[in-house]
Amino acid sequence: MPEAFTRTPFFALTLIFICWVLGVKLQKKTGWLLCNPVLTSSLMIVVILTVTGIPLKHFNVGGSMITMLLGPATAVLALNIYQQRKVLQENFLPVLVGCTAGSLGSIAAALALCHLFQTNSVFSASMLPKSVTTAIALGISENGGGIPGITAGAVVITGIEGAVLAPFLSKLFHITDPVAEGVAIGACSHAVGTSKALEIGKIQGAMSSISLCVCGIITTGLALFFM
Amino acid sequence: MNIVTELALIFGVCLIGIGIASLLPFMVPYSVISLLVLTLLLYRKILRPEQIKDAGVFFIRNMGIFFVPAVVGTMEYVETLTNYLVPFLVITLVTTPLVYFIAGWSVQLCLKLRRKKGAAHA
Repeated sequence: MPEAFTRTPFFALTLIFICWVLGVKLQKKTGWLLCNPVLTSSLMIVVILTVTGIPLKHFNVGGSMITMLLGPATAVLALNIYQQRKVLQENFLPVLVGCTAGSLGSIAAALALCHLFQTNSVFSASMLPKSVTTAIALGISENGGGIPGITAGAVVITGIEGAVLAPFLSKLFHITDPVAEGVAIGACSHAVGTSKALEIGKIQGAMSSISLCVCGIITTGLALFFM
Repeated sequence: MNIVTELALIFGVCLIGIGIASLLPFMVPYSVISLLVLTLLLYRKILRPEQIKDAGVFFIRNMGIFFVPAVVGTMEYVETLTNYLVPFLVITLVTTPLVYFIAGWSVQLCLKLRRKKGAAHA
């Protein structure tokens, strides 16, 4: 394919939008949990780039514009929190306890398993922040001498896993309270999970937004002690 | 509200977030700080939800799309990941349900404890 064509931002932007729409349609049609549009549309793009041999660098010209908007997209979650301010006020302490326990659990489990597999410290540092949102996780990983690629991969898989499994896990563990469900989703699968929590319910969405924020901050603090 | 005004407000909040993040002695991403700043502005009634509603709803409804380039970007690290495939997969797949369980149940236990206390008082 001619370089002039793939090197413009419009190439990635068009590709992302088309694959996203297809991914959303696919999920609606199949109703299948694994057909999470983040996963399916990314897979489509990876296949297209690999088959055509278009370099990732070209894709990133437009892709970075979309990534940039992740910041404002996270910030406006404040609207959900504000809308559910009564629920938050009534449950402030439980939410805080849940986020602290979740963050501690995530770091402890990741470190314990790394120890079990006897991985090196670089790998452990890369895996430690896997339950928090990409931007925070990458910062923590870099501070601890981790490899950003491994961290990004772990964060993404964790996020998609949480988003896909959330309804199933709630049933399995008998998490019936909407506040508890929201905190659980936000604590284990950050912003990707939060996008799913918003579909499940308004309270779940707001509590997930809060815990994504609180867990991010707590994990940043905890990481200073663990690394 | 005009969508351009809405975007100016939202991007402005992000700018404030970036400013605060650069002043902090530790690494916290600006998106999290911006979320906190915007929540505070709404709570203090400096901003009304209607002033950012249309753009806000657009971002929230289509949130997943903003992760796609980052997910695609991990294809660059396939080699590093395959070297650590087993621990990588086990750790990612095992800890997620575990954290879900811990976080969910600590909230539910807190709520139950409070209800008991409330009942005892009543």
